[in-house]
Amino acid sequence: MSRHAAPTVPPGPFIRPDGREKVTGLGRYAADLTATGQLHAAFRYADHPHARILEIDTAVARAMPGVHAVLTHADVPDVRYGGLAQDRRLFAKEKVRWEGDVVAAVAARTPEQARQAAAAIEVRYEVLEPRSDYVANLLPGTPLVHEDWASYEADANLGRHGNVLGRSTVVKGDADSAMATADVVIRGRYVAEACQGAPIEPRAILAEWAGDGVTIWSSTQVPFAARSGVARALELPESRVRVVVPLLGGGFGSKCDFHFEAHVAALARATRRPVKLVFSRREEFIAPDHRREGMLIELETGATRDGRLVARRARLVLDGGAYCGEGGFFAQMAAMHACGPYVIENVSVEALLVYSTNQPSSSIRAPTAPQTCWALEQHLDEVAAALALDPAELRRRTLIENGSVGPTGQVYEAIGAKQTLDAALEMIGYGKELPDDEAIGIACGWWPSFASPSGAYVKLNGDGTATIVTGALESGTGAVMALPLLAAEVLGMRPEDFSVRAQDTETGPWDLGSTGSQTTFNNGRAVIAAATEVRGQLLDLAADQLEVDRADLELVDGVVRVVGAPGTQVTIAELAGIGKVLIGKGSGRPPESPPVDASACVGRLGMESFLAPQLITHAAHVKVDRDTGVVRVLRFAAAHDSGRIINRIGADGQVYGGVLMGIGQALSEATWFDPTGRQRNPGLLDYKLQTASDAPPIDVRWIEIDTPGAGPKGSKGVGEPPSVPTPGAVGNAIARVIGRHVALLPMTPERVWEAAQADGRPPDGRPPDGHGQADGDATTGQAVR
Amino acid sequence: MTARYLAATTVEEAVAAMAAGARPVAGGTDLVVRARQGSAGLPPALVGIHRLPELSSIDGPDARGLRIGAGVNHETIMSHPAVLTAYTGLADACAIVGSHATRVNGTLGGNVMNASPAMDTGAPLVCHGALAVLHGPREVRRIRLDELWTAPGQSSASPDELLVSIELPPPPGEGGLVTASAYVRLQYRRQMEIAIVGAAATVGVAQGEIQQARIAITALAPTIRRVPMSEEALTGAVVGADGRDPRGAADIETAARLAARAARPVSDVRASAEYRRAMAIVVTRRAVITAVLRATGGRVPVPASDTTFGS
Amino acid sequence: MRHPITLTINGQVYPLEVDPHRSLLHAVRDDAGLTGTKEGCDDSECGACMVLVDGRPTNSCSYLAVQADGTSITTVEGLADDAGLSALQQAFLDHGGVQCGFCTPGMLVSATALLRRSPHPTTDEIRVALSGNLCRCTGYDGIVKAVAAVAGEAAATAET
Repeated sequence: MSRHAAPTVPPGPFIRPDGREKVTGLGRYAADLTATGQLHAAFRYADHPHARILEIDTAVARAMPGVHAVLTHADVPDVRYGGLAQDRRLFAKEKVRWEGDVVAAVAARTPEQARQAAAAIEVRYEVLEPRSDYVANLLPGTPLVHEDWASYEADANLGRHGNVLGRSTVVKGDADSAMATADVVIRGRYVAEACQGAPIEPRAILAEWAGDGVTIWSSTQVPFAARSGVARALELPESRVRVVVPLLGGGFGSKCDFHFEAHVAALARATRRPVKLVFSRREEFIAPDHRREGMLIELETGATRDGRLVARRARLVLDGGAYCGEGGFFAQMAAMHACGPYVIENVSVEALLVYSTNQPSSSIRAPTAPQTCWALEQHLDEVAAALALDPAELRRRTLIENGSVGPTGQVYEAIGAKQTLDAALEMIGYGKELPDDEAIGIACGWWPSFASPSGAYVKLNGDGTATIVTGALESGTGAVMALPLLAAEVLGMRPEDFSVRAQDTETGPWDLGSTGSQTTFNNGRAVIAAATEVRGQLLDLAADQLEVDRADLELVDGVVRVVGAPGTQVTIAELAGIGKVLIGKGSGRPPESPPVDASACVGRLGMESFLAPQLITHAAHVKVDRDTGVVRVLRFAAAHDSGRIINRIGADGQVYGGVLMGIGQALSEATWFDPTGRQRNPGLLDYKLQTASDAPPIDVRWIEIDTPGAGPKGSKGVGEPPSVPTPGAVGNAIARVIGRHVALLPMTPERVWEAAQADGRPPDGRPPDGHGQADGDATTGQAVR
Repeated sequence: MTARYLAATTVEEAVAAMAAGARPVAGGTDLVVRARQGSAGLPPALVGIHRLPELSSIDGPDARGLRIGAGVNHETIMSHPAVLTAYTGLADACAIVGSHATRVNGTLGGNVMNASPAMDTGAPLVCHGALAVLHGPREVRRIRLDELWTAPGQSSASPDELLVSIELPPPPGEGGLVTASAYVRLQYRRQMEIAIVGAAATVGVAQGEIQQARIAITALAPTIRRVPMSEEALTGAVVGADGRDPRGAADIETAARLAARAARPVSDVRASAEYRRAMAIVVTRRAVITAVLRATGGRVPVPASDTTFGS
Repeated sequence: MRHPITLTINGQVYPLEVDPHRSLLHAVRDDAGLTGTKEGCDDSECGACMVLVDGRPTNSCSYLAVQADGTSITTVEGLADDAGLSALQQAFLDHGGVQCGFCTPGMLVSATALLRRSPHPTTDEIRVALSGNLCRCTGYDGIVKAVAAVAGEAAATAET
């Protein structure tokens, strides 16, 4: 048996350059790093989800064996920070607002000593009533989570007021009048629980000072944002802060933004020792200011008999949690997803992002979209039923296409929405005969591309190999690892000839990070620009050496040669060895957001314009055990318009992983809060990720069409869309088996079973606990006319 | 934090260490995991029993039945020919404990002494009439498992008694009686799961009639327990030569409902008490049907929980 | 009290002194310095810490180092040999079985153990055998395909 199959395999997928260190176990993640003399950090978290801090006494903890430092808010600059609203500090000062609020941090010789000292810090509180019910926090007179909200620095467009952190509307035409004229009006009320990114790597940070500068090795998705955050929170120039990301063990948004880097840097400064923080799995659930937001979704749609959507009214309430983080834009994003990729003649959507004393919500893979899409797509199936139309047919009649006008007046061009529908239906075998406990459900969704400045250098080495230096971040998706494909094509080299130096704020140009599915879209453009500069330098050198016109030259297979006279050539390696510096830099110009007419909308934060939107149709074939409510997804089909695909193995991988994450959100994943806002299941036993034996085979098809405003080579993003319509497709399939939509997400066995009961009532009445009907009292399908 | 550790080489050495306050540890899949989760710290002294030869074998089957050493892992049990044929319910359970790594490291003894009301092996062991063999400083005694467990996580074994083996009597087979068994649990995932609820059944069938029945329920009461009312309801049930007689089906339904009535379920993060009670009917029905099918010549592969899904 | 133990890890003998409560995972990572084995949950739920103990796949986070005294341990670092990557390691790369890579060491260890005890598993057997290893990136697609490909290759080799 050959152990080295590679040479005999025909040119196959591009093997990611970081693959070898990952399969051999030799690559280092942040928790694998050790600095000589390092101390270990531990946090003291809030003892109550909501309480006023009266006194913090660290004397006992400071005197404990092995303890080098104990820090509280009194030991760091009094600085507020945050995304669109700057509403938090490194350490809680006046109040704690959720169970993961950090009250104090300890550095000690061993992790055990640090944890023991953190537990020994004495904190006196005035306990306040938790404000975990985010919908109730809208009621007039409700005590405020942030009493001083009005004094915070914040984006004026957020529309903050009291417990409302953000309010956005999407308004088009006159939805009220149009609703009154519709042939059919359907209403639905859906409630989605919070859930988690849950990367397999818990976060780890190591900080070490040298002189007046600090180097922080961190498992962050956004090293440049982390650098800015540390600089702001500790009042340092950015030039004194270096953030380096070793291999990153996944993030899915949960490692965006910054927070703990500054705590560890402060501890390292106070102790004059390197300090390392490694989260336990429990901490990874509770402490990050990142989880997918719980949401209440109320939808109303008016349609005509021939399947036109004449009006949509919707009201969405999002649980923002204790702090804004980088989730300030969520209300507007959710409002756009309450419209979806459909032609709707009149729209009136209001979305409210509300403070609570729960874990803060911030970006998790396509924030707000999966749950909103889940509600909308189930709602649309009810519209189709009321119109006696097949769900696929209703979507075929209403999906956006070239020239359609969206809810904010954007005119879409070159949209592959309907092609994704047809492809998904074909792959799943839509319409085939199935046993009566099986069914197929479909759902459509969308997600914008994000333009951002980005930069890269390409350096040619003396032997003709090359190095890409970039500030982009490889979180595992393969987006950075595929950059050699783009540079190689420009330079006529092999992708294998490139190394990649990334995710170090000191070496690479600024980059947004692994967020917004934007790496290929923006950094790819930068790499092409940088490689193009090098290409020009090579052409100049070759033209000199070969004494030919530059315009007659091409770069192919590692040589520069005369077009049509391949004998006249010089290798890139020869040119690289001449002794000239061959280096290119580039950023390219980010595409501009398409124009909109959103004058009737408030709370505009940029999401009203969907640049190069990605369109998706998912189809789920499920089997439902009616007796128990247990659902298994037997097969899944995913058709995506993400523009041109640059790295097929990487793009497919995003769909496989995103779909399974979506199936988890659909069926098994939720952060269950107790009435006070404490997590009841902060561990992987009861926060149930799908396992290999639960995962279905997934068929993938790409609809590759050219779209205006696309990224390099006509690409869009691919990372986030695969999670968007998945729960909706699963939900519609379940409803087809049991005859009723499950209006609570996740659609746990208990909830499916409950919905499957004849009257939707279990024989013994309502469950007082467990995962039955939540307090949201979700309902669907009231056909009022 | 554990300060002392001894790797025992004989049962006597282990028992002496336990008498001095040490807790036994074998595969670590319960004890160490719970310590890591913070629900219970590791005890101050541990005695490793994973290398005791007396605990590591399966003896039989013979006229006395089958004796499974407390240190035998789940994977070994589920693939043992005698277990697969005569104690199939135990195989159903061992095949779905945790993951493969749990099954090759976790031991039957650890599972039993953990005394969790949600343990998968408990209900089939009770139905098989299993006895725990406890080795103390002075005597060796045998006790029925449903007498061993007293409360969640608690047993009537004294701290210096080591579980050395589980004895399974031969399944009744006199007078043309065919005995078969099954264990079925409600599981949200196929693997890496704790029983939400579960039920085991053994039935002795002769001439198309259930002559003997045992039913035990899992995660439905503070301890795993038999349900005598359900057993009575099944006795005399006419299931027919193929096990599918509708008259028997009615009795099976009655037995399942009685099992739910006997349940004392709790509400927790995994399920509400009401759902658990309703599911008690489903898993009991499926366990009995599976056992009856197996007793009447039907083939239901191990683990039954996978194959009864959607039935 | 610290206990002297001897672990043979990937063929190398490591005489160590460990506290009784030290997990095998920390002995491997911190005492033997082999950081390829990962800590993802510390309670046997994710499988990132999977090693072979005398050939048995074991969640090293939940196994005491003292209990492993005298055993032979295989970690991910022991899967490749001088000739290069193992067939499974190469297949994980070829089939998109690696993204962030954090589950990869444990996944490879479990897959290696599977093919040793069952060289020709069905796809469902592969999925069940890998269920103790959680992956958040790949949907398990590339991983299952990689194991199936190596199993198929082994089958083809066995037939010739």
